[in-house]
Amino acid sequence: MGQTFSFANIFGKVWGASKEIRILILGLDGAGKTTILYRLQMGEVVTTKPTIGFNVETLKYKNLTLNIWDLGGQTSIRPYWRCYYSNTAAVIFVVDSTDKERIDVASKELHMMLKEEELLDSALLVFANKQDQPGAMTAAEVSMALNLTELKDRSWSIVASSAIKGEGLHEGLDWLMDVIKEEQL
Amino acid sequence: MSTQSYKGKDAYAGVGGTPDKMAVFQECLQQFNASPVNAKKCRQLLATLLRLLYQGESFPSSESTTLFFSISKLFQHKDSSLRQLVYLAIKELSETSQDILMVTSSIMKDIQGGDLIYKPNAIRTLAKVLDSTTVSSAERLFKNAIVDKNPIVSSAALISAYHLLPQAKDVVKRFTNESLEAVQSYKQFPPTQWQLHDFYGASTANLPSTSYMYQFHALGLLHPLRNHDKMGLMKLVTSLSEGGQLKNSLALIQLIRYISEIVTNDPALLNHLYPALASFLKHKSDMVELEACKTLVGLERHLSEDQFMSIITCLQKLLSVPRISTRFAAIRLINKISMSHPEKIMVVVPELENLINDQNRSISTLAITTLLKTMGSSSAAGSSSSTASVDRLISKMTLLMDEITEEFKIVIIEAIENLTLKFPSKHQQLVSFLTDLLREDGSLTLKSAVVDALFDLIAYLDDSSAHQLILMNLCEFIEDCEYTELSVRILHLLGQQGPQTSNPSYYIRHIYNRLVLENSVVRSSAVVALSKFAIVCGGSIAANIKTLLTRCLNDVDDEVRDRAAIALGMMKRAPDAKKLLVSDGQYDLGALESKLSSYLSTNDFTIKFPIDEIPVLSAEELKSLEYTKKMNKLEAVDTTQEASPVEGPSGAVADNGAAADALKQQQYEAELFAIPEIAAFGKLSKSSSTPIYLTEKENEFVVTAVKHVFADASKLVIQYQVSNTLSNCQLEDVSIVVESDNAAYEVEFNVPVPEIGPNGQGVVYVALSAPSLDQEDAEVLAAFGNTLIYTYKEVDDGVTDDGYSDEYQIEDLEVLSGDYVTPLYNSNFTSVYDQLSVDSDSTVVTINASSLDEVVTKLKNQLSMMPLDGSDYVPSDAASHVVKLLGKDVYGGKIAAVVRLAKTGGKIAAKVEARSDTPGMAALVCNSV
Repeated sequence: MGQTFSFANIFGKVWGASKEIRILILGLDGAGKTTILYRLQMGEVVTTKPTIGFNVETLKYKNLTLNIWDLGGQTSIRPYWRCYYSNTAAVIFVVDSTDKERIDVASKELHMMLKEEELLDSALLVFANKQDQPGAMTAAEVSMALNLTELKDRSWSIVASSAIKGEGLHEGLDWLMDVIKEEQL
Repeated sequence: MSTQSYKGKDAYAGVGGTPDKMAVFQECLQQFNASPVNAKKCRQLLATLLRLLYQGESFPSSESTTLFFSISKLFQHKDSSLRQLVYLAIKELSETSQDILMVTSSIMKDIQGGDLIYKPNAIRTLAKVLDSTTVSSAERLFKNAIVDKNPIVSSAALISAYHLLPQAKDVVKRFTNESLEAVQSYKQFPPTQWQLHDFYGASTANLPSTSYMYQFHALGLLHPLRNHDKMGLMKLVTSLSEGGQLKNSLALIQLIRYISEIVTNDPALLNHLYPALASFLKHKSDMVELEACKTLVGLERHLSEDQFMSIITCLQKLLSVPRISTRFAAIRLINKISMSHPEKIMVVVPELENLINDQNRSISTLAITTLLKTMGSSSAAGSSSSTASVDRLISKMTLLMDEITEEFKIVIIEAIENLTLKFPSKHQQLVSFLTDLLREDGSLTLKSAVVDALFDLIAYLDDSSAHQLILMNLCEFIEDCEYTELSVRILHLLGQQGPQTSNPSYYIRHIYNRLVLENSVVRSSAVVALSKFAIVCGGSIAANIKTLLTRCLNDVDDEVRDRAAIALGMMKRAPDAKKLLVSDGQYDLGALESKLSSYLSTNDFTIKFPIDEIPVLSAEELKSLEYTKKMNKLEAVDTTQEASPVEGPSGAVADNGAAADALKQQQYEAELFAIPEIAAFGKLSKSSSTPIYLTEKENEFVVTAVKHVFADASKLVIQYQVSNTLSNCQLEDVSIVVESDNAAYEVEFNVPVPEIGPNGQGVVYVALSAPSLDQEDAEVLAAFGNTLIYTYKEVDDGVTDDGYSDEYQIEDLEVLSGDYVTPLYNSNFTSVYDQLSVDSDSTVVTINASSLDEVVTKLKNQLSMMPLDGSDYVPSDAASHVVKLLGKDVYGGKIAAVVRLAKTGGKIAAKVEARSDTPGMAALVCNSV
């Protein structure tokens, strides 16, 4: 009995379809989290309002079922991020590349979050978003500002993106899927 | 926490007991956080959780919040039934959880694009989740939902908006246009509405295509939004009452209530609104017709005879419909009319007589009590056939009495008592009906009700033959009474009343029988009763009783022996004892209580308790208090009905009139004596009972006044209650300038209020020297011009500006005879009136009023005297009427007035004759009319 059960489990993991992969999208307010979520889900740009709370969507990506949680980034809502950390396979951290003033705040929030025990095994994907805007920092500059190189024992990557134009999103997600599949096998 | 401790707490807890709270909590956390979510299991768990919550269980805040967050994770699942349960659970948990705003975005998304099944749930939950800071982000959503073409969605949004009113009135105000659109729209259920759930699948054939319920909800929302805009509300009400736009019965009923509210506040608008109300009397829904009748009955004094008859016709029709609840409501209204105008419902007497045999006992009881009242009216008119109708009714009731339950019997007993009090001439039949009831089997409650009624009749009927009749019947009753409690009460009454009758020995024999046959409790009260006969009657009776009581000294019971000994002792000092027994007055118990408690709190017992300061009420005053209380109680049905929901708390206060008045007087006294200058005036003689409004009630500053008369010191203190209804301004150095048109009144001093904050209140006192009635040609009547003076300062976020001084003219205040008089009861007005001879005066005036009834009420309130011999009741067809009023002035003298009223072409002529003990008082009353 136990034998067949675990076999089915492994079988499912190989095909990746039966288990949902839980992904959080975090970041400061106005970074473009909700836009990215719906760009990925519907393939179009929707008009958004500041998220009070969260949005959750399920989407199929490359034969995997992704359960994506987009949590609001306002200061008042950030304390509740932790309520949604458990069972998270990956965190997508979105940075507004044009907002140089608050990049330090973003960095602080990121490192604080990564210290949480529940997220020790989660992969990290950073989107240096709003690349379509003039004066945006490059991915490398953002990486510097966020001190990403300091991260140890974690798979991470930074991708320059523009949610409006749809650039970089799939590239980043592809990387994330590879990492997750690797880790789960 | 074990399951055990919760078992059996709730009789409806159901089969299988209540699930354990903590076990449910743990399982919820586990299941809701699982990935992937098992929708079926989660639904079952949520259902269990809801069952716990609905049974009154609650979770502490931290646990509730944890639950809430775990439930919020279920938003990832698309199952619409699960989503519905999620919304129900969030709604319940929103009271106890923190940080509920976390689901705001998810709910908004469901409202925008979600499934029709849970969209209404989502809207209702959103209203619970939003707070004043987040509500504006949902404004568009609400507007769209209100005008949604699906009535269910529209209703949900309208109700939710209503619930948001307390937190976000400004935002909800912006929904006015959408709500107006909704109230006038025609929305149908989508054809698929009932097929969305499998459960309804088979039975969808005959479902209505719409319920118009959203109209009711929209109207409910519009009313508070328009509440402060009288013209806007008028416009809304008139436009909706025309053209049959409103289809929903509940909406129409609500509309009628709003009309009623408008008209109550401003009777002048009735002419404008009457056609609308009258058209509802011919509506196809019973409910609407009833509501229209109810409203019109409440406005009765403004209606013409024909208009009133149309109500009766409508009610008459409703009396014969098959639906019990409708018949009940109709007869209840008729019963209410019968309390004030029994002659108006004479036309429905045949219907009422049929309803005596209605299978619903509530209806038959009401039919009887109503008929009893019509009977009284016909006898008042003096028709000779009335005796026959009384007999017929009583025989019908006697038949019915065997069939009905005790509660109904008690209702009937009270109705008979009320009738006897109002129409003493009918007492013979009615008393015999009551005593017949006593003889039959019945529980203690029933018998107590009868005995109570008989006691009251003895106290208030001024007819010695009636007294004798009742006392004799009571004697007979205790011969065979199984209830000790009642025997004791009756013996006490016999002891009080018996000695004054013409044949005391009759009662003594009955009482002595008790002494021989009964248990010790009854025996001891019989001893006391006997001793009263001995002491009051004296003579041979006393000697006989002495023998009887001496035998009691050998009684087996301690108490009986003790009482007999005391009684014998007292008889030896008969004159003193008589004074003790037959005392004329009684201390004002309310005042005594407050004085005693303040005496105890000072803890200084070296000073003797000042019993002299407690006012002594004479027997007559006591009776008038009790009589008012009694009448209030007997007509309590009346007052509770009048206190319709829109009027709010005002009705509740009116309920216990006399007692509340006494309390208020004491409260005023305490407040006044806190001011040393006023305390120096000595005893407070009289305060006017209800504050008089000197401004419109909806003014920015509302001023009410209460007059306090200090007769001994010849002073008048006016207490001005100033309330500031503005939230952004502060009044400082508030005082009132009083200008009298009567030189006899001079302002002595003014006690201003230093500051009245935003939405605050303050009291300004103005003390005046008043003329005394002892002086020759004292002019007591006066009118005062009042001006409110203050410094006005705007308050903005706690910062006040320098302000400027301003003044505000408010209405005049009059001093009338009523300020010097309190109502007094006496069962024999004529003899009192004839005995008053010190001073008399008469005058003739014409009064601008449409009905006699109105004038009587006005006279009663203005003169602050009590109408006696049922003269406050005016038959509506009468062209003339006589009111007999009695009162007591602040100097302790009686004052009586006979006012003859006659209708003369639109006006009412009044001839006032007043007589008083105190010189000058009669003239004062005449001049005050």
